Amino acid sequence: MAQGGYVGKILYVNLTDKTTEEIPTSRYGQWGGGHGIGSAIFFDRVKDKTIDGYHPDNLVAFMSSPLSGTLAPSASGRTEVTGIGIQSYPVGWFTRSNFGGRWAGMVKYAGWDGVVVQGKSETPVWLNIVNDTVTIEDASGLWGLNTHETQEEIWSIVTGQPDVREWWNLDGARDSGRSTQKPAVVCIGPAGENGNRNGCLLHDAGNGGGQGGFGGVLGSKNLKAISVIGTGSVPVADPAALMELRGEIMSKYGYNVDDPVLETPFPGVNLYGILTQQPGYGPLLWAAKRPARPQGCMGCYRNCRMNHETGLANGNQCVESLYFMAGEDQDDVMRAVTLLDQMGINVYDVFQHEYLFGLYQQGILGPGKQIHSELPWDKYGTYEFMEAFTLAVAHGTDIGADLKDGMTRAVVKWGRWDIDTSNGTLTRPQWGFSEHYDPRLEVDWSYGSLFGDRDINEHDFNWHVHWMPLVTGAVGQDPLMSAERMAELLGAATGTSADAFDYSPEGIYSDARLDAVTWHRYYTRFWKQSISFCDWAWPNLISYVTPDNVGGTPTYEPALFKAVTGRDMTMEDGLAIGRRIWNLDRAIWVLQGRTREMEVFTNYVYDVPTKAPYPLLAKEDGKWGYGIHVGRTLDREKIEDMKDRFYKLHGWGVETGWPTRATLESLDLGNVAEELAKADKLGS
Amino acid sequence: MADDTKTAEGKEYSRREFITGIGGLGAGAVFGGFIVKGFMLPDEVYAIPASEGYLLVDTKKCGGCESCMLACSMVHSGRSNIALSRIQITQNPFAGFPNDMGQVQCRQCPYPSCVDACPTGAMHADAAFGNVRMVDEAKCIGCERCVNACPFTPSRVQWNFEDKVAQKCDLCANTPHWNKNGGPTGSQACIEMCPMKAISFTSAIPVQSETGYVVNLRNSHWGTLLFPTT
Repeated sequence: MAQGGYVGKILYVNLTDKTTEEIPTSRYGQWGGGHGIGSAIFFDRVKDKTIDGYHPDNLVAFMSSPLSGTLAPSASGRTEVTGIGIQSYPVGWFTRSNFGGRWAGMVKYAGWDGVVVQGKSETPVWLNIVNDTVTIEDASGLWGLNTHETQEEIWSIVTGQPDVREWWNLDGARDSGRSTQKPAVVCIGPAGENGNRNGCLLHDAGNGGGQGGFGGVLGSKNLKAISVIGTGSVPVADPAALMELRGEIMSKYGYNVDDPVLETPFPGVNLYGILTQQPGYGPLLWAAKRPARPQGCMGCYRNCRMNHETGLANGNQCVESLYFMAGEDQDDVMRAVTLLDQMGINVYDVFQHEYLFGLYQQGILGPGKQIHSELPWDKYGTYEFMEAFTLAVAHGTDIGADLKDGMTRAVVKWGRWDIDTSNGTLTRPQWGFSEHYDPRLEVDWSYGSLFGDRDINEHDFNWHVHWMPLVTGAVGQDPLMSAERMAELLGAATGTSADAFDYSPEGIYSDARLDAVTWHRYYTRFWKQSISFCDWAWPNLISYVTPDNVGGTPTYEPALFKAVTGRDMTMEDGLAIGRRIWNLDRAIWVLQGRTREMEVFTNYVYDVPTKAPYPLLAKEDGKWGYGIHVGRTLDREKIEDMKDRFYKLHGWGVETGWPTRATLESLDLGNVAEELAKADKLGS
Repeated sequence: MADDTKTAEGKEYSRREFITGIGGLGAGAVFGGFIVKGFMLPDEVYAIPASEGYLLVDTKKCGGCESCMLACSMVHSGRSNIALSRIQITQNPFAGFPNDMGQVQCRQCPYPSCVDACPTGAMHADAAFGNVRMVDEAKCIGCERCVNACPFTPSRVQWNFEDKVAQKCDLCANTPHWNKNGGPTGSQACIEMCPMKAISFTSAIPVQSETGYVVNLRNSHWGTLLFPTT
């Protein structure tokens, strides 16, 4: 069968020497795409894994997948970013981020499966990729512009027009291709330029690659933007099969906008969209108040974002949209979100500004206080405050001088890290990342984050085990299915067991639970981070619109992979590659200094009981239900016992958490074992 | 060619029938500011049978996901390439709705300038497929007169720089990489793949406006999402 998906070469750019190299994708084909390829290239080309993220030798990969730029539903739009991050604490782990939109498709149309940058330019530059032509351009005219202005300026430079909407020639030749499209640009704003640890990547209006601080990493390399425009083709092995599969997926699991099977009973309650997956539900806690349309990444069949009449907060979703929830006027809410995007700041680091306000209220922070700040704290809750705060972070002024190192390091500097993560006023459970879901309860989330490199941000189980009962309960409905049925479906779709999804005080430490955590790590490393299935549509473990509630996983991912690439890849084959990638990453963290002793949560996770009702699937007294789990913590000893079993399950030394030689060799990672051996860091 | 008064089938059209055929109300929009080469108006006119199918796009329902472009290029050429799509979505992510996106589909013009411009008859109204205006690739000599003749911006005719032929929307009449039959009596890939159901098909010549065929495909369920239904 014809091979498809990949376009065959990866662009490597040495920013120090201003040279480029073509890496044949086939050299890294075994890793699938995205994250797998990024980690493998990193391992090969970064000899000293102990360097800091700001070091010029740090290698950052922007990698597509074989499905990018094709009709694979909700698997075409995302770009995976890998490299040493500067956000996590106390060590900037080798980490990942990703962003949606159209960059991943466009880089392939230009003829590249991805772009890898290493080194540091002496002066600001941007990469201008027009099909095969790669130019390292002077960015002195762009430095200082916000992320939106930067992109508009690049569009003008490359297309000759500020807002091209007609055919334009990519170069002078008749047959090099024409496009009606603008270049797809990923860039940094002032926060990244200033090397902020919370500097993010931004593409188009609201596609942010936030976690890891890659905006600051690029800033330290003097790399302002990577622009891609292409007119080439992505080969598809079996187009007719891809059409059929997508048609099936849309009809079975899609939201029929003209006659939906499951429709929100409360127009305006976008949170209900988690269940319906209706277009435009992305901002979750607010809906369009002015005329708007849904907006989706390339090839998506859900279109979860929105574009608005004002142009504010276009393309935003999730926590980005929730940056200023105290705003009474929705226009101000959207204005604050837009400013955040334009400054290029990772919302997940600064959205806990409420914690800082708490310090102000306690008299610890403010004009002339122990933590000096002259921002208008007395106007907290207004747009005036948000604007001042956002600009201070972006430019490193006022309290921004500390916050540019991320809120965690600022709090450490202020001497408040231990006390406030112990009393639970600062909910940052591991590696300095803000809490996302309750680490005391949703343990696949907290364990996955702890044994990994960052807040995982992978909602695979979370949409169902937590959000479904929460949303239906909040609007006064019965749950859409029984807890027992949910556990059964999750167990079946993942090939684990119903008990793997028991979040009871006993269930969270069980061996079955570790099976779920493990499946999660392997599935996400391969199918999502390497083959670009989007977190807001995949996996499809449960459907709320099919008659039997069975979802599309594990049937459709392998089928779509085969239709595009022509390669057989079962779900298990993919999980095995995920395991390989996970262990490669683990080896990098070990070389960076990971120890068993470091893998502990901050104190509030163990010492402060949960206070708010938290709907979550659990089996208690032998009966499945969606409990509220008030008064719960994690237990230090039980966590240590769990670590023993987790390490053993993963083939890592129990005392250290380091992969053993046997494990690495069984995964065909003998070269990795050698490097760990040289550093005297093999598990035993 | 302008002197011909017969269609390919040898039928004669009167001027009145011709004007009726193009939906007189829209005549200004079709010809607006644009002088037809060699078109002579009195009693004998050159005419082409109207297409039996038209794509309608609800410009406010489109989500900009470009699935239509991915589908179109793939079912026609077997490759995924938005630069080869016969329907184009243009966007400015920073602009305000509804000016943030444009949907550019061929209107299967009742008076097709592209057909008129073609010196070889490659661009023609295909009787086997309900008179859809399409390219017989074997006859295309790559002069690109059709590309330039399209009165709309961007041109609805593309130069396929990989296969070196002109191409345009044929309502999926010729889609070797799809298991469904296309053409005006069949299915269209863009319609089927659009997750917002923002594209529909009609066999009646649509009413024209300055900006295109005006169509509203949004029902009350769209309003439930708090999106505008007008």
